[in-house]
Amino acid sequence: MTFSSKSKYLFLAFCLLPTFLLFLIFTVYPMLGGLYYSFFDWSGTSANKTFIGLDNYIRLWNDSIIKKAIINDFFFVFVKIIGIMTLALFFAVALTQLKIKEAPFYRIVFFFPNIMSVVVIGILWQFIYDPNMGIVNSLLNQVGLTEWARPWLGDKTWVLPSIAIPAIWAGIGLFMLLIMGGISNVPKSLYEAADIDGASEWQQFWHITVPLVWPQIKTSILYIIITSLNGSFVLVQVMTGGGPGSASEVMGSYLYQRAFEDFQFGYGAAIGVLILVVSLITVLISQFILKKEKVEY
Amino acid sequence: MFVIKKRKQTWFLVALMSLMLLLVACSNDEESSSDTEGNSNTEQSTTSSDNTSAESTGDGLSGTLEIQYFVGGYGDGWWKQVIGDFQKQHPDLEIVEHAGPNINTEMNTRWISETPPDVVYIDGAGASETQMIAEGQLMDISEFAKGIKLENGTALLDSFISPAEEVDGGKIYSLPLVFDTWGTWYDTKWFEENGWEVPTDFDSWISSMEKIKADTKIAPFVTTGQHTQYFHRGVLNPAFAAAGGEELLNDLNDGVVEAWKKPETLEVLKKVEKIAKAGVIDSGFAAYNHTQSQMNFLMHKNAYIPVGFWLPNEMKNDTPDSFEFGFTPTPMNDPGQPLALVPDIRTIAIAEKAKNPEAAKAFLEFIFTEEYAQAFAESTGAIMNMKDVDLSANTNVQDFLKNINEMINNPGAVHTYKRYTPDAEVQKISVEITNEIKLLIIDILLGEITAEEFVDKMVKKAEELRK
Repeated sequence: MTFSSKSKYLFLAFCLLPTFLLFLIFTVYPMLGGLYYSFFDWSGTSANKTFIGLDNYIRLWNDSIIKKAIINDFFFVFVKIIGIMTLALFFAVALTQLKIKEAPFYRIVFFFPNIMSVVVIGILWQFIYDPNMGIVNSLLNQVGLTEWARPWLGDKTWVLPSIAIPAIWAGIGLFMLLIMGGISNVPKSLYEAADIDGASEWQQFWHITVPLVWPQIKTSILYIIITSLNGSFVLVQVMTGGGPGSASEVMGSYLYQRAFEDFQFGYGAAIGVLILVVSLITVLISQFILKKEKVEY
Repeated sequence: MFVIKKRKQTWFLVALMSLMLLLVACSNDEESSSDTEGNSNTEQSTTSSDNTSAESTGDGLSGTLEIQYFVGGYGDGWWKQVIGDFQKQHPDLEIVEHAGPNINTEMNTRWISETPPDVVYIDGAGASETQMIAEGQLMDISEFAKGIKLENGTALLDSFISPAEEVDGGKIYSLPLVFDTWGTWYDTKWFEENGWEVPTDFDSWISSMEKIKADTKIAPFVTTGQHTQYFHRGVLNPAFAAAGGEELLNDLNDGVVEAWKKPETLEVLKKVEKIAKAGVIDSGFAAYNHTQSQMNFLMHKNAYIPVGFWLPNEMKNDTPDSFEFGFTPTPMNDPGQPLALVPDIRTIAIAEKAKNPEAAKAFLEFIFTEEYAQAFAESTGAIMNMKDVDLSANTNVQDFLKNINEMINNPGAVHTYKRYTPDAEVQKISVEITNEIKLLIIDILLGEITAEEFVDKMVKKAEELRK
């Protein structure tokens, strides 16, 4: 029985329509709503709204904390890209090509942090960094490196790197699996040919693995950028609340403070629009930089 | 034929699925289903309500009464008791409770859509009486409040420890229910064991902290760096009040430029700088949230912590048996001057758009009794805002509470200063001033800025806001 094109379209609609409706309701509508509220002076707790046009954006432009927040956000983006990609690539290659017997076990273990709730990860690492009873300082003291022990989350210089570490730790698993998938699609014959030609493991990695897995690497980097700009909020909010002072403030945590603690919802919405714009621009630029023709041997 | 039927079936299925998804997605949360306490038609009230059952029942109050109250460090035992008794007195009234630690966020949409509950206890994160008054969400109860009389005939407005606040030229929008205040806590037993004296002014406080540090090697002072409003309200505000009275206290928080330029203000910040320089602050304080700093305090990693009255109740599950809570108004005053107490009053109010204002007013009148004031002290570890309640005979009330109650009712060693609610325009300035103070507190306690720099930055900020 062949399907008429009409019933084919019907089937497609049946598959796409519910998800599309949900997408409209839960993604597009709030986004438009946020844009709408950013033009108002609204506390977020009452029915009184005053239209103020672009005043929130002018205030945003002059806000010194936002500048710091954006810098912090990009710090996380860069550190996460370098940290996650290095480790994910390393683990992916190790688990697929170094013939380790316990590979399936390691796959599960490395992926585990990805399925933990980010809030749980934040609280867990708060305890790890605790100046009095945390593992980090206890270890440093035991080994005799007491001068290195410090209040990690309470120190303005060290708070950002301290938050970056669990962010990297939690992110590796997913990208490791993604790259492993890509590597497994690389024909083994290429590696064998390279071996015969006398290429070292390192050369094989750079000249075979990386080019052929480039689509996965590029996807991973873009994904890290997008989720970092939106998602660093959770770890920061849980671990330090943006502190000490505003040392670890990111756009998301500053939005939360303005919208829900200072009762300046309109201004918070403007910050939300800023996050959207910054993310879009960053992704577009990254797409351009990472552009590479798909390589096929 | 067969094909057409199939097509009809598929269309029907698509329509049904979409409709179901739409309904699921768009259904409003029934507020009662998200309540942690649920409906309380059948009230399971506590037994200590013998007195009230003697009063006449069936005032004829009918309809529904919705009460919103935040449940935090004070717990909800008192509320359950009071509401239970009120229900007994008005069996025809359907009382709906909206309670929980996140109740302000949960009820937010009700307030935005102008269908608020009738009575609201204003406390907890996400609640701001100033904001509610500015938005016109609270009912003007000036006339009603002036007419309320206690059981013994005295006017309610004369019976408050901290008087009802009049805004907007003499209007009363809420009744001050809880007399909470900020101060500095310590472990009485531990201090007795070590022969440490409780300080009564700034000089004795600094020397006490230096002595404790020398004796035990701990960092005597801790505060939460994540929520620097604790330091602001627990140490700075009493210090400002002690230095320049209510006027200075309020002017500084309202961002009055001249106030920040005053020499008394600089003196206060110099005291803070002295605390930072003395090396008595816990080195990790900047990272701690409130529970972490409080846990450290309970475990004797620190000796002094500035918090409000809810501390013992909030930490009751974690307090070691040998720990005995001691409280003193934060000693930032100069020697010879009284200790300064800046109350943090929690109020109860009626919504402007309340559907059952009659029942709401009856409830407000109902709760201000000596009996409930005693019950409040017993179950919450804080004081209800009523004068001349004698707690000394009450064995269920902790000692620190009895002491502070005595201090408040017999002024002399302790002076109370009020932080007034700013009006709508000043409130915006006050929010920004508070935010700036919160950031600078971290800097000065970490030793990164001096007292002069603190004041200079505040002057600049105030000038910017008052332009």
